[in-house]
Amino acid sequence: MLIEILQQTINGLAIGGVYVLIALGLTTVFGILGIAHFAHGSISMFGGYLTYFLATSQGLPVLAAIPVALVAGILLGMLVEILAYRPVRNANHINAFIVALGLTMMVEGINLQLFGHEQVVIPTGLSRVFRLGGITVPELRLYVIVAAIVLVVAMMIFVERTKTGQAIRAVAENRDAAILMGVNVRTIPLIVFGMSTALGVAAGIMVGALFAIAPGIGEGLVVKGFAVLILGGLGSFPGAILGGTVLGITESIAAGFISSAYKDVIAFVVMILVLLIRPQGLLGRAP
Amino acid sequence: MLSVRDLKVSYGGIEVVHGVSLDVAAGECVALIGANGAGKSSTLKAICGLVPASGGSISFEGNDITRASGHAIVRAGITMCPEGRQVFPQMSVIQNLRMGAYTRTDPEQEADLSRMMDMFPILRERQSQAAGKLSGGEQEMLAIARALMARPRICLFDEPSLGLAPKIVASVFETLARIKAMGVTILLVEQNSMMALNLADRAYLFEAGRIVMEGAAGALKNHPDVMRAYLGH
Amino acid sequence: MSKHKFTRACAALALTLVAGSSLAAEKKLTVGVADALTGGGAVYGLPQANAVKMAAEEINAAGGIKAGPDIYKIDVIAYDDKANPTEATNAVRKLIDRDGVKYILGFCCSGSTSAVASFIGNEKAVMLVGNAAERSITTKKIPNLVRTRPPADYTGQAAGTFIARKGQKRIAVLGALDVGFYAQYVDSVEREIKKVGGEIIAREVFSLKDRDMTPQLTKIRGLNPDAILVVGYVEPAAFVYRQAVELGMNIPRYGFTSGSEEQFLRVTTSEQMEGVWDLRPTELTLLSASKNGVAYHANYTKKYNASPSPSSPYAYDQLYALKAAIEAAGTAENTEAVAKALRNLAVPPQVVMQYQPVDGKMFDVNGQAYTSNGAFQWQKGKWVFVEDLPSDSKAYSQFLSTLK
Repeated sequence: MLIEILQQTINGLAIGGVYVLIALGLTTVFGILGIAHFAHGSISMFGGYLTYFLATSQGLPVLAAIPVALVAGILLGMLVEILAYRPVRNANHINAFIVALGLTMMVEGINLQLFGHEQVVIPTGLSRVFRLGGITVPELRLYVIVAAIVLVVAMMIFVERTKTGQAIRAVAENRDAAILMGVNVRTIPLIVFGMSTALGVAAGIMVGALFAIAPGIGEGLVVKGFAVLILGGLGSFPGAILGGTVLGITESIAAGFISSAYKDVIAFVVMILVLLIRPQGLLGRAP
Repeated sequence: MLSVRDLKVSYGGIEVVHGVSLDVAAGECVALIGANGAGKSSTLKAICGLVPASGGSISFEGNDITRASGHAIVRAGITMCPEGRQVFPQMSVIQNLRMGAYTRTDPEQEADLSRMMDMFPILRERQSQAAGKLSGGEQEMLAIARALMARPRICLFDEPSLGLAPKIVASVFETLARIKAMGVTILLVEQNSMMALNLADRAYLFEAGRIVMEGAAGALKNHPDVMRAYLGH
Repeated sequence: MSKHKFTRACAALALTLVAGSSLAAEKKLTVGVADALTGGGAVYGLPQANAVKMAAEEINAAGGIKAGPDIYKIDVIAYDDKANPTEATNAVRKLIDRDGVKYILGFCCSGSTSAVASFIGNEKAVMLVGNAAERSITTKKIPNLVRTRPPADYTGQAAGTFIARKGQKRIAVLGALDVGFYAQYVDSVEREIKKVGGEIIAREVFSLKDRDMTPQLTKIRGLNPDAILVVGYVEPAAFVYRQAVELGMNIPRYGFTSGSEEQFLRVTTSEQMEGVWDLRPTELTLLSASKNGVAYHANYTKKYNASPSPSSPYAYDQLYALKAAIEAAGTAENTEAVAKALRNLAVPPQVVMQYQPVDGKMFDVNGQAYTSNGAFQWQKGKWVFVEDLPSDSKAYSQFLSTLK
């Protein structure tokens, strides 16, 4: 029983890491621009597809394909900000909402045209399995968990310890006051979209290596990402990290101990229960 | 130093500032006084680039900054301590102060930081607390210190006493007096006309988006119209 | 009408008459195909449509269908039903009402096929079902419907006897159990292993979109089963096999997936697949293929520049069965007579699948045909045909007749 709980927790950590990366991107964009960036999942999957394409058709080693995809993610994120969201920056919020939905469909369509409807698995060649007592940890999952932790820590350092990172926080907390500090509020969204999309692409690569990328997976992931945001508390980085980890492990344990048929449902039931007790989310501030 | 000519400001097509002209010389402390909604704050916001001017011009040290963006104006040396304090609530006190020095690249930022905390000991005490947890008066001190962290050539204060208890208001004005004594150029918008006129060298009286009177602070303080309408005599 | 137009119309009429008279000796029989030509079901549906077209060309080249005094050349119209019940209903209505088609072939997927089966009994048409495995399609005794593929639980029964013989008693199931025919397959396996004292100790579910099976597998691992049985679509099944290895489960893995080597290797390594069993209808495999199978594989590959899917001959065989039935009935006009002839048909010599006739007939009283089942094992990167599975078509046919 104890071994099973530990094993399920380990299982859930990898997928939890993916949720955290997606949610961090969503929460930063939401914090800065107030946009529910639905296309985030599909763009993240584009990064996963790109890695697959580079690693298979172009014969690049996966370890070389990943940085290329991450850089492409940064550029793509910036492009999305300039072309899709900047024009509606000062318009009614419903406009950005519609743009986000339209963009989702567009990116899904582009993914389908470029990479087809077949599922795609990024070949890593990592098939060793580590054993510890009764618990097994596949090599690939371990690396995914480590990579997720490294990325989260890197992002926290960037946000907390650099001027640009502090400016991002400042814009999120009080846009006008940030202008008065001399922050260029036109470049900040660019940086935020670049960073968020790179994190998303990392998540896309993880999904592609652990599981598979296929049409619709990105959309499902973005829904989970928003669930994490609400679970952890809107706009809170620690909330996104805690929320994503909790969701990943809860799904895993719920699927193992209750029923896998209700895996997704159980995750949302937990979210609703948390919100009933703490309407502001796990780490959100009371209104 | 700062020169505003025939400035007009509109919100959604409705003009609220109808051609205002004013000057601030280096080292001076100038107050804009008048009733709520007279256009004082809008004038200040237009100077910092938070709202666009719909007419007229603003120049700073001989450069036209009428159409300059907010962050460029800060880099030019104009800093504002905004109405309602506008601290970054979830960031710590020290992070707020460092944001004040956002445009600076010189090595003396840390020294200034410690100077600010000497000036406002409460900020040193609370340095790692979230700014949103501070009291109103403490937040005002933080906002002022944060504005000074930019080492501005001119510092604009927008209603620094708004919403504070009378005792705190007095200490805010004491602080402003100290800043003035340090030689910082000040442009102050304040509804508490008495306090403002006591502090300022010169003042402009706003009414319905226009300047209706200007002169030395002492002269305005003793003007019968001002006394009746704004000083409660 | 202008004089010029009138002349043109006359010329056209004359041409039609001349053309008509020259074809008077042989008629045209249009058969319809309703199948998934795009979308997720297309891996089954498109090869089926191709197989019907190929059979039509072969039959035409060999002289067509002889129904009494008439000789028919076959024309094929194929519509895409996207494996969707609504699309399938529309496609079949269009075939019957607009194109005047009396014989409809194809039908790879259970959902869309069941939708059409629900109304085909009222039509003057004959429906021949291919790869769709849902049992209930042939339990309603629809007189004008036959199916070439056996129901999933027929195969399940054979698989159950195989597993029982291997001696594992405690079997954990992981599969798409919310899909009727997969659940039926498992029920049949359970019936067989219970006879030798075995049991199914867990029934865990995955859906088509699931890729992370570790929660279910961890739970199963905690129950210490003797073997696992994976029933469902290839893609999620591949993840089950891979993650079972990743969780250190070193027990026999049985499956019912019918996936190709290429499909599995997109997800797993060959080492992770080593030793996995697939217990399924024998279908088209070159190792066990008849002479017809070898020829079919070669012709299809040449014509379409791709290998035929293992299940595509179900549709190929439909057209040969139809041909034989029309010739036996002596008419292509009277669909009732043709439907009756199908039920009395011996297995035609040209078919590719290895049918197991019931009382000498290809289709039993339910309209159901039975093929042999086989045990395939993954050995060094390939599915290897190991042995035929013991399958009792007569007993199963009687069981099917008792169902409603």
